[in-house]
Formats: sequence, C-alpha cells, structure tokens
Amino acid sequence: MSRVTAVIADDEPLLRAQLRARLSRLWPELDVVHEMENGRDVEAVIEQHRPELFFLDIHMPGVNGLECARAICDRAHVVFVTAFDEYAVEAFEQGAVDYVVKPFDEDRLAITVDRLKARIGTQPPRLEDLVQRLTSQLAPRASEHLRWIKASVGSNVRLIPVEEVLFFQSDEKYTRVVTHEAESLIRKPIRELLDELDPAKFWQVHRATIVNVDHIASVRRGLKDQAEISLRDHAETLIVSRAFTHLFKQM
Amino acid sequence: MKSYAYLLEGLTIQRVLVVSVVCVVAAAIVVRSVLNTYADLLLSALCVGYTSMVLFTIAGNIRQRRIPREVMQVAAIVAGSFLGTVMATILKNRDVTTMFTERLAGVSITMGLGFGFGCVVVAMYILREKAARDRENLMRAEADRQKLEKNVLEARLALLQAQVEPHFLFNTLANVQHLVETDPPGAARVLDSLIRYLRAALPQMRESVTNLGREIDMARAFLEINRVRMGSRMTYSIDVPDSLKERAFPPMMLISLVENAVKHGVDPCCEYGSITIRAAEAEGRLRVLVEDTGEGIKPKKGGGVGLANIRERLKALYGPSARLVIEEREPHGVVAFIEVPA
Repeated sequence: MSRVTAVIADDEPLLRAQLRARLSRLWPELDVVHEMENGRDVEAVIEQHRPELFFLDIHMPGVNGLECARAICDRAHVVFVTAFDEYAVEAFEQGAVDYVVKPFDEDRLAITVDRLKARIGTQPPRLEDLVQRLTSQLAPRASEHLRWIKASVGSNVRLIPVEEVLFFQSDEKYTRVVTHEAESLIRKPIRELLDELDPAKFWQVHRATIVNVDHIASVRRGLKDQAEISLRDHAETLIVSRAFTHLFKQM
Repeated sequence: MKSYAYLLEGLTIQRVLVVSVVCVVAAAIVVRSVLNTYADLLLSALCVGYTSMVLFTIAGNIRQRRIPREVMQVAAIVAGSFLGTVMATILKNRDVTTMFTERLAGVSITMGLGFGFGCVVVAMYILREKAARDRENLMRAEADRQKLEKNVLEARLALLQAQVEPHFLFNTLANVQHLVETDPPGAARVLDSLIRYLRAALPQMRESVTNLGREIDMARAFLEINRVRMGSRMTYSIDVPDSLKERAFPPMMLISLVENAVKHGVDPCCEYGSITIRAAEAEGRLRVLVEDTGEGIKPKKGGGVGLANIRERLKALYGPSARLVIEEREPHGVVAFIEVPA
C-alpha cells in the first residue's frame, strides 16, 4: 500500500505528539509530514507538502480549525479534532467530514482510520457549507457594539466595561465617563459613541448626554418641556432636553 | 399654560375643604369678640384662606433651590393674608384707599387673624409632610437593605453556578493520557494539579470562607496545567509574601482573573506570553493583582461577564470599600487587580 501524507494542527504540543503516536500504531502507512500550532500557515504548508489529509483541532488561537478548513476547501480531506462535543458532533455525522474527540478512544480512532483509508484517493468534498453552518451555529459571534471604554487615569489606561457606565457627557473638548466608582475623561465625542454603543442600552437624552438606561432610577418632568433623570445610587441628575422627552412618554 | 400646571400640584379637593372648614370655624370664634356680622367675617376669612392656600401651594411647588421651601411657604401666607384682605375689601364694595387710614385697625385684625390661622395650618401641613418624608426614607432604607440582601444571594448563586469548563477538563485529561505513556512522573504532576484545581473549583467542594493562600494554590494549579498544555507558549510567576497568605479573601475571584488572563490574554495570542500574580498590602488595603502580556482587550470584545460578577460580589461583601480595576499594560496585555480592606 502506498504512503499517505498528513498534517496535524493543534495548539497543544503534547496532543500533537499523542495523535501522531496513536496514528503511527493504527496506520503505519500514514506519514505525518508536518505539524502546525494553528492554521496561519496553511497555504504555505499545502504548497510545500501537498498533504492528502489534515487533522484540525477546532479550537486554536489565531486561525482556528474551522477557518483553516475553509482555506483548505477541497484540496485535502479533513478530520476535525475536538476536546468536547461543543461543536455539535451531529453536525459532523451528516457531513462528509470525520471527527475524533479528545481524549482519544483507540477503538473510535481505528474506525476513523478505516473510513479515511477508503476515502483517500477520492476527490475531497467541498467544505464551505459545513464550515459555514458550524461557524454560524457554534462560534461565539463577535459583538457589533462597544463593550469596553478605554480611559486615561494618570499614566494608566483604565478599561471600563460599558455596563458600568452610568452616563457619558460632553465637556467641551472631552467626554466625561461616569461610573459609580470614578469619573474619567475620554477624547471620543458623543456622536461617535452613539454610533458604537448598543442603542438598546444607551440612549441619547440631550445634545451632550448619553445615559445607560439600566442605571436610571426615575424620570420626572422639569421646566420648559424638559425632564430630569435620577440615577440609582448616584447624586447627579441629568437633563432630558425637549427633543428627547418623547423617549420617556408613558407607554 | 399646561407647562405651569405643576405649580398647582397638591391643590386637592381635600385641601380646599380643610381650608373652608378652618375659615368657618375661625369666623365663628372671632364673631363673639367683634362687632362685624358673621357673614362679613366669613367672607373675609374665605378670601384670606383661599388666597393663602393658592399661594402656599405654588410656593411649595416652585422649582428653585436658593430659599428653603418652608420660608417660601410662610412668606406665601403673609402675602396671602394681605391680598385676601384687599380682595375681601373689593368684594364688600368698600373703598380700598381707606384700608390704610380709618379702617387700618380692622384690616390689621383681619390680616393678623388670617396670618395666625394660616401659620397653624401651615405648621400642620409641614409636620404631616415631614412624617410622610420620614416614612418614605424608612421605606427606601428598607428597599436598599433588601436589594443588598438580594445581591448577596445572587452573588452566592453565581458562585455556585461557576462551572469547570468541560473543554478545559477534557483537554487536560488528553494531555494526561499521553503523559502516562511517555512521561509517567509528568502525568502524576499534572494529575496532582488537576485534583488541586478541581477540589477548589467544583461547586460541591467549594468552601464559603477561604484565605488568599488557598486561592493562590488554586490559581497555581490552574496555571501549572496550562503551562504543560501550552508548552513553550506560556510561563507564569507568583509573587505573594507568606505573611499575606492567611488573610481572608473571597473565593473564586482570583481564579476568574487568572482564567481571563489565559483565555482572553495569552491563549488567543499566537506568540509567547507570561502571567504574573502579585499581592501587597498598603494603606490598610490588600491588593491582589494579575498581569498578563497577552493580546489585550479590544473595545468590542466580550468577556466582562465574570468581571461584573466579581464586582457585584465585592459590593455585596464590602460595599464601596472594595474595588476591581482593569488596566491596559504597556506595550500589550492587561493588568487586573482586586482591592479589599485588609
């Protein structure tokens, strides 16, 4: 039987060594020509080694296993390796792709090897659909909204989770960021913050003010069609200008 | 017009009735000692009463901070007594100009009586309002206390729910599985660390009171496992004086910071990274710090949930005298520290 070339990608060195050792026992004809810590160099590896088979750990820093599979497309067969069936193993069952679960079960790995032996030499399937499904279904979606405010405090840059901000208020050149614990100044203007913050949580109530609605205690009518916001456990009150009072009209 | 309606807030039918009754009774008392008819006195009394009532209500609602409300209200009674007397004069078709000349004595008596009764009524109102305010303050204090209790409960619940990640557990076991074959003493060391970590991390095994030393041991076990798993990509160091290890410290907070440093700091970063734990005491405060040289926090990246949980628990345990601060580290990475009263 002719030799089969494979590449192992896993960020944990011991696990690469373990998979390599197990495979060499179960499949002596398999030649692991390269090991990768993540999927970053996959193009160069394909270029250089032209492997027929990839073992891809799904969770890797930098370029993960799913992104790597997308890059490989139909240029090699792919086996996903995962430490836990967080990546919904049933998704693989229907697909043309095999998977193994860490810690390895020798019998289970033997079944995978048999299936792979049958597949080697055939045209590898295109993986876009499967990868797309897995990615959208399982990978945590990157937040579209601002989650952290970076504010200078002395010579340090403090990171403030937006949930803790009571309100933002423009103060001539700067924007005040007020939390229960402290007050700091940032350079980002109110209108830029408005574009980036979650509009469900952060409401503009004045030309110069954005309030975190989670921290509002009460709103009362004030002079000249304005309203006044009181915040929970905070003394300062905020003015709602006429243009924004409709936000607080009774439902 | 509508926008000034708030000035008359509190001018209820009840208030009008009270003032009317006071006027009727006051006129009845005074009619015995003066020559005027009862009807004449009642008219004066009602004029003074209603005018004072309206001015008093407005004085109570005006939004200004310079003059105390009570002073404004007394001034309103004085003004009301005067205006009411003038109004009564006009209604009785008498000459207003003689008010301050031949009829000055009578007018003074009306105003004086109006003012006197007014003050009694106002004093009653102010006392009642104060009682209502006291009640409200009491209720608010009670609500605050219940909220704090709820926070403590929630914090305890969150502590119980904190889970050992299956991904971490299985990956570690896969490493042990390999080491058993290739490096048995190494496998034993990783298993030791895993046991120490699980003993502290499994909710059922968790102790409610703990000290800094125990929390450091747990963090060390976790870091040691990760050092084996990540190979040359990560190192760590722990710099905590023995004298601080007996100090009380809330459970599962340090490990949260360390997990963040690995998961969101060093791990996503493809290059080498290091993690340092330090503890120090200064100015009556114990500060425990976790520093990583990882990829740092991106403005839109999540991961604040565990941190919000720590903050809530600190607040429930220590009030405003404890804090969690997260800062960017130069040139890259994050410094997070917890400060509690020593």
